[in-house]
Amino acid sequence: MYYVELMLNGLLVGSLYSIVALGFVLIYKASEVINFAQGEFVMFAGYVIAFWILSLDFNIVVAAFLALVVMVLVGLLVEWAVLRHLIGRPVVAVIMATIGLASFLQGTAQLLFGVETRTVPLPIDDYPIFIGDLLLNRIELVAAVFAGLGFAAVGWFFVKSRYGIALRAIADDQQVSLAMGINVKTFFGIAWAIAGVVALVGGVFWGNASGVDTQLALIGLKVFPVVILGGLDSIIGALVAGLIIGLVESLAAGFLDPLVGGGTKDLTPYVLMILVLMFKPYGLFGEKIIERV
Amino acid sequence: MKHPRIATLALASAALAAAMAAGTASARELVLGFQCDRSGPTQLVGNFLCDGAHDYIRLANRNGMFGEGNSVRAFEIDHGYNVPRGVEAYERSKEAGHVSYGLYGTPHTYALTPKLTTDQVPGTSPGFGSAGAANGQSYPYVFPVAATYWSQAGAAVQFLMDEWEASGQSGLPKVAYLYYDNPAGREPLEILRDIQGRIGFEMREFAVPPPGVDMRPQVLDIVRNYKADWVINHTFGKAPAVSIKELSRLRFPMNRVIGFVWAASEADMQAAGWEAAEGYQALQFAGVGQNHKVIDQIKAMYAEEGKEAPDDKMAVSVYYNRGVFIGALHARAIANAIEAVGADNVTGDDVRKGFESISDFTLGGFMPPLNITPEDHEGGGWVQVWQVRDGAWVPITDWIQGYRDVIMEHVEKAEPPAG
Amino acid sequence: MINRETGTFKRTYAEDLAIFRTPLPKIAIGVIALVVFVIVPWLGGSYWLGGLNLIGIASLGALGLNILVGYTGQISVGHAAFMSVGAYTAAVILREFPGTHWLFAMLGGGCAAALVGMFFGIPSLRIKGLYLAVSTLAAQLIIEWVINHWSWLSGGAQGSIYIQPPTFPWIENGELVVRKMDANLHYYYLIYTVLAVGIVFALNLFRSHLGRAFIAVRDRDIAAEIIGINIFRTKLVAFGIASFYAGITGVLYTYFYSIANFESFTLLVSIQFLAMCIIGGLGSILGSILGAIFITMLPIVLDFILRGVGGAVFGWDDAAASAIMPQWNLIMFGGLIMFFLVVEPDGLAKMWRNFTDYFRVWPFPYV
Repeated sequence: MYYVELMLNGLLVGSLYSIVALGFVLIYKASEVINFAQGEFVMFAGYVIAFWILSLDFNIVVAAFLALVVMVLVGLLVEWAVLRHLIGRPVVAVIMATIGLASFLQGTAQLLFGVETRTVPLPIDDYPIFIGDLLLNRIELVAAVFAGLGFAAVGWFFVKSRYGIALRAIADDQQVSLAMGINVKTFFGIAWAIAGVVALVGGVFWGNASGVDTQLALIGLKVFPVVILGGLDSIIGALVAGLIIGLVESLAAGFLDPLVGGGTKDLTPYVLMILVLMFKPYGLFGEKIIERV
Repeated sequence: MKHPRIATLALASAALAAAMAAGTASARELVLGFQCDRSGPTQLVGNFLCDGAHDYIRLANRNGMFGEGNSVRAFEIDHGYNVPRGVEAYERSKEAGHVSYGLYGTPHTYALTPKLTTDQVPGTSPGFGSAGAANGQSYPYVFPVAATYWSQAGAAVQFLMDEWEASGQSGLPKVAYLYYDNPAGREPLEILRDIQGRIGFEMREFAVPPPGVDMRPQVLDIVRNYKADWVINHTFGKAPAVSIKELSRLRFPMNRVIGFVWAASEADMQAAGWEAAEGYQALQFAGVGQNHKVIDQIKAMYAEEGKEAPDDKMAVSVYYNRGVFIGALHARAIANAIEAVGADNVTGDDVRKGFESISDFTLGGFMPPLNITPEDHEGGGWVQVWQVRDGAWVPITDWIQGYRDVIMEHVEKAEPPAG
Repeated sequence: MINRETGTFKRTYAEDLAIFRTPLPKIAIGVIALVVFVIVPWLGGSYWLGGLNLIGIASLGALGLNILVGYTGQISVGHAAFMSVGAYTAAVILREFPGTHWLFAMLGGGCAAALVGMFFGIPSLRIKGLYLAVSTLAAQLIIEWVINHWSWLSGGAQGSIYIQPPTFPWIENGELVVRKMDANLHYYYLIYTVLAVGIVFALNLFRSHLGRAFIAVRDRDIAAEIIGINIFRTKLVAFGIASFYAGITGVLYTYFYSIANFESFTLLVSIQFLAMCIIGGLGSILGSILGAIFITMLPIVLDFILRGVGGAVFGWDDAAASAIMPQWNLIMFGGLIMFFLVVEPDGLAKMWRNFTDYFRVWPFPYV
């Protein structure tokens, strides 16, 4: 029974990894920007929603809506102030800019909201449900449902909506999109805004599970194994790979830790990632256009 | 190319420093240097702890603790848990002429131990750094002053064995040691394994890779697979809150969890939820809460200055009070040194002797009965167990030690650094 | 004629190859050497030498990273991990073979780091850009984990190894004795000598076939292959050289602190070194050094300003200034990286060049 629980737990945590990775994939798909500040986005969203709920005593729904507005603005602002100027520059520059952004967001969040850990309170019972002998956490189930909804919404957006189709066109070929009258820069902004919103889902549930402080941003380190495994530009890849990474981590902690006498939970995703890079660099679902020399 | 630039910069800054030093000179202003992490991974501790130290030093200055006309300047530099910056902070404070130094962070303590010895300046490393430094012969200038991880391990096992016996259960408990997977987290293992070997209880180790944002699999293992009777929680940063939250979600009884000193603050309980933490126990090396004479004095000081007391900082009393504790020890040691040789002659070595002559210093029950000697720089390794009851920390034991004989065996074997 | 190329004709191959074509740089080098090795140590107090030591070590590390990132175009977020490889190798050599001269331990550290760096550089054959960034990120985490857990190698549960300070020959009372390095001054000479060697090596590297190949790979790898550059080998050698620099940097940190400790070489440190290269100027030796100075000095200067200005204007005491400073440090660090990338992508080195160019053509700015 414990092993079933361990695996289920891994999958549920994995769904939360997926949602963090989704923000990364969205930005990469639209603008080919590699966002090393995805974890900081999640952290910032957590700070914002915790602020509305704890300091101003807002209802969770109102707070979530206000936080959504803030995150959209943050996303747009980041794109407008920094990333827009780096279009066409080498990858190194873009990566470094998002690393700078990460530090900037950490400092700003602390200056605005304070340094101590706070938790995002959710109106969900903390105690587990038992199905027979099988133990499940309500909150994780709710989180998984929201993660699923997030993916469904983003999927619908890309397949059905006018804006989503435009974003796909940009991802396919920027110049042709420009020629077809799509305002590419506006859509980069839209991609960042959506990434901000997606980060909010991560911020709420990670903020509830682990508390919000600058350390929460380190969840961003989980993004890379997920997106490499899933394929950089694949939304479905982020979902599947997030679940796989969650499962692998959970099993590593359960089986590998006692064998090696140390924590392998954070290491195994990266080892897996190296293997993927060597044998299948475009990941499970990524477009196979990787440039080789 | 580069060098004239450095030189100008250096000269300009040196002039600035000199001007600053000249501006603040008084009868004798002794400098207490210390470093802090307010922006790095342990900022959740540093922001409260260092403020406590500042406040006590200011209080001591106002009360004339250092004699007529003398004062102590608390010169703090943030290092963000970055070792080169920590070393630079030490150098800068040495330049300011410090006679005593407050270390912060385990890697920094390691890196600065040789420098402290060369410069003959005593440094305190309460609750972190190397446990072997309790050995004053091997580490003449490092003062753990509070219980080291080894002493904490001894006391924790002592406490849980006592509780186990009191509960009237047969056999020996199954213990889960949940630890941060870094050198500080592994340090107590040596003692725990030794004690385990002597008593024979069952123990398994569960590593949490830093920063421990998620530890569901480990806790699941402890509760559902290993089915531990007791958990020893030696985690840092945000991991304590996460571990408490996870343990309570799986309905592990909180009164069978004992946390080490860095898994013991109000901030952790706040983040985990006080209801979830109800019954949780943890070790403390300084008093908790605001019902202490010294805290009242600090509040009175703020009132006299016409300023508002930093209530939000003081509310995290576990860390704030530890800062007061550290400030008080430095102040006492410096005052001892001034008494012995006069303010104008105090050197780092005199302050070391000042530390070593601290005896039965409790600050009115705020601290354990510390007796620091040239041999024992830990001052006895006292801790007190506190428990979360109705949303507040309550002491449930007196100041205790555990398996002192075992620990002393290991301390005596501690090699001096730089071999 | 002292500082202008105009009218200076190259008549022989030797003249064509010369690093300095006009007398001014030669004089400048002499003056700099004099300042660095005589005047600064003579004037500087222990604190300033200590600070300069940190700057010197950081410069060497940034220089190494710049060879990889700035000149060869291969990004690495694992630079600090390669430093720790060097640091631990040297410390283990000194622990296991106590008689070994520290110079050999240092070279051993550099070589070990170079080997490990080349190993983790292998993915760069197939992948680049982001893929390489994350694979070096993995290198950082894996190396940290290994040092953290192989306690039999890395100094027990503490994961740190204390070492004896390096020694140097010294004449005392007319006798030749061996002294331990125990003052910042001693380390100053050690560090700046190593740094000088590192700079000269790098300067010459980019005048050689190999250095030019690095630049060709950065600018257009396919074109580089067509003109006959073995990309595989070139990239690996770039990783090797950069990691060798990193290893030596790690060893210098170890000697300076008398301890090898992996917690000094975290991901954050790697990022700081990248920031040095960006702010100083990618693909510039001078830039690496300026960046190292800048990043090392930033918190110190900010601290001075917040204490000084905050004290004068807002009446902050030490405690208040200390409390607000760290957040500003993070904001400035991140903000400056973004600022430089957007506004001055070539970094401080470009600013310096603009400045010197002004004098080079003065008083005929149109020429």
